Amino acid sequence: MAGVHSGVSAAPPAAAPLGLGRTVGLFVRLKLRLIAGNLRGELTYRIGFLFTLLAAAAVAVIGFLAMSLLRLVPAGIAVDLGIVAFALVFLGWAVLPLLAFGLDDTLDPARLSLLPLRTRQLAAGLFVTSAIGPWPFASLVVTSGAIIGLAAGAGGALLGMLAVLLQFALCLVVSRLITTSLSRVLRTRRGRDLLAVAAIFVVVLAQLPNLVINRGLSGDWAGMLADTAAVLRWTPPGMAAHAMADGGPAALAELALLAVLALLLGLLWIEVLRRALVTADASTQAGGVRRSRGGVARLLPDGQLAAVVTKELKYARREPRGRVGWFASVAVTAVLGFSLSGQSDEWAGVEGAAALVVVPAGLGALMIGLQSCNAFGIDGRSLWMNSVVYGSERELRTDLAGRHLAVSLIACPLLAVLSIIAALLAGNLLWSLPATLTAWGVLGLALGVGAVTSVIFPYTTPDRLNAFTGAVPGQGGVAFLGSFAAIIGTSVLVAPIVVPVLFSLPWLSVAAVPYGLVVAWGGRRLAALIGFARFPELLAAVSRSA
Amino acid sequence: MGSPWGKIWQSEVMSEGIPDSVRTRGLFKRFGQQVAVAGVDLVVPRGSFAGLVGPNGAGKTTTLSMITGLLRPDGGITEIDGVNVWRDPVLVKSRIGVLPEGLRLFERLSGRELLSYNGQLRGIPRQEVERRSEELIKVMDLAESADKLVVDYSTGMRKKIGLAAALLHNPVVLFLDEPFEGVDPVSANTLVEVLQRYTASGSTVVFSSHVMDLVERLCDWVSVMNRGQIVAQGPLQEVRGGRSLNQAFLDLVGVRGGGEEEGLTWLGSTPA
Repeated sequence: MAGVHSGVSAAPPAAAPLGLGRTVGLFVRLKLRLIAGNLRGELTYRIGFLFTLLAAAAVAVIGFLAMSLLRLVPAGIAVDLGIVAFALVFLGWAVLPLLAFGLDDTLDPARLSLLPLRTRQLAAGLFVTSAIGPWPFASLVVTSGAIIGLAAGAGGALLGMLAVLLQFALCLVVSRLITTSLSRVLRTRRGRDLLAVAAIFVVVLAQLPNLVINRGLSGDWAGMLADTAAVLRWTPPGMAAHAMADGGPAALAELALLAVLALLLGLLWIEVLRRALVTADASTQAGGVRRSRGGVARLLPDGQLAAVVTKELKYARREPRGRVGWFASVAVTAVLGFSLSGQSDEWAGVEGAAALVVVPAGLGALMIGLQSCNAFGIDGRSLWMNSVVYGSERELRTDLAGRHLAVSLIACPLLAVLSIIAALLAGNLLWSLPATLTAWGVLGLALGVGAVTSVIFPYTTPDRLNAFTGAVPGQGGVAFLGSFAAIIGTSVLVAPIVVPVLFSLPWLSVAAVPYGLVVAWGGRRLAALIGFARFPELLAAVSRSA
Repeated sequence: MGSPWGKIWQSEVMSEGIPDSVRTRGLFKRFGQQVAVAGVDLVVPRGSFAGLVGPNGAGKTTTLSMITGLLRPDGGITEIDGVNVWRDPVLVKSRIGVLPEGLRLFERLSGRELLSYNGQLRGIPRQEVERRSEELIKVMDLAESADKLVVDYSTGMRKKIGLAAALLHNPVVLFLDEPFEGVDPVSANTLVEVLQRYTASGSTVVFSSHVMDLVERLCDWVSVMNRGQIVAQGPLQEVRGGRSLNQAFLDLVGVRGGGEEEGLTWLGSTPA
């Protein structure tokens, strides 16, 4: 009897090991399903995904056309442009997946470490999943454009195709190598914090063209291009681009080298992956914070105001979302001031030239103030701690005052410094005075308006910043309304002080600060009146899970 | 309206003229179509260590949120020590301590900073806050990690610092939502000791839990919730009625069919 039964119960068919082909197929389906998953669920997600698809399609088409049009450019310059373009695509592959870490589940090997797969099978699967998606497709299309733009003759086109594929493979392997080797750091809280702040560079980069155009750095484009290309020429993407244009035996040698390099990097990646799968998460080994004696808040009378100010100041420093907001405001203001002052020659002697200083300072104040248009968003789910204490409208007013005071403690000196720098760049230090006063006034207005929008349009700020919306799914509309109301409200209130200051009445800026203070006070009163009545609803609105 | 045990007890107390620590009447909440809490009459006598038990989705968290002023009820009355929670929030909020479900704390403060923030927010003088914080940190066995950010705390540490924050202003009634969920035995023991000391002095604890053994061991008063209503309520011995609390609970809530008849035939190591 035992013999009969053993035949039946042994080796269940489902547990047979997968072949390499089936593994790859499995991963392709997984990735496609993950992408398709974006099309389900909340509308904001779907709109965001649709936007991604459209953006990727636009990049693919425009990039492809631009690359193929290189044929019309003189050969030397075309090769140089091709080399730079290939290097940029390569750089994008190296950096951008890091920002998507945690959003794309296939990027983190730890998510897959329990699957009964050999490391090589896993590597093959992960490699293929990297190649699938709107952005990988767009980058492949763009680089393919170079076949039309650069390659010479039929043989050149064939080599070009090979070069494009090798470049693509290199991009995939390098991006995988980077995310896998950093995956341990990226899973820790500190790593994620750093990465969130790194997102700020994208904001600053977006301001670069503005800077270049306004500063007139256009001197010697051809020379700059040639210099850059001469260096990039010997990097792997540079060699791929060069090989396409060359088309001779040198090209073959370059491509062979690239193939070997891709293979070596691939082996290195598999080794790193093998280690990453069995090393522990380091997130619990965090250090402590310095025990402070309260700093500025020590000077305040003991109580709620001091408590809120202390907490807010700590949050501005420690919370990545807070840091990103501050960095972004300062960076954008600085770039704006710098690029505006580039035009100071044209404005010299013109009445109202103080605008060159007042406008960037005022905009800086507006940007800083707008961060407070959803003041409770960053507290989020922790806000219950305040909710179980506040039993009266006055306490909510004190809370808002504490938040405003904390913002002002950082913003006022910062705005003064920005004004002075802008004034120095514009060539008249005296302008920093009306600029500083106006900026402080604008800050007050923005805070006052922000207090009201915070209680009327509260929404949850997601833990991870998302490129498309600053709110969790389902609250995008509220977030939009809140920011929009804050901008409109502040702009309307700002007119009486900024317009006269801009048009040759700079002394009127003296009135800006008291005006700002009054509006901030009024905003807090109104916000406390509305906010206390609907505090449970406010708490629910900022406590949504992302 | 309520359970027979609740009624018996209520008449006893009323005759003595002492109001209950917590009392709700017809507490009601719906989310869209779904009724989460369907007329809860919760009674907790003063000085008791009370357990609120019920299966997942019974409405325990919603009920506790409404009692502590975190969620606005759609109907019904809540009184703490005879004071209406939604009519006189200043008085009530100064008397209660809360540890809500989940581990929602200010993540970017250290444990020590979290306590001092809480104390100052409640208007306790700074020196006193520091003194109490030190003692709580010591009792909760958090001395080593007091200066680490809460975001890096483990579940047990979070529950302990949360409880410390809830106790800091010496509330009269303490509400804890699943305080022992995900907590290791050592931390759980610390929590229990602190809570027992607290109730021994005459203060009231109301906590929700699924862990029947724990409720049976700690509580002298039990309220059983199912599908948004209180199905039994009273002193532990009466609710148990000679059974184990677990059995009493299963009888009250009604056990749904087990998986013995069909399915799962492939599970286990013996061949069919």
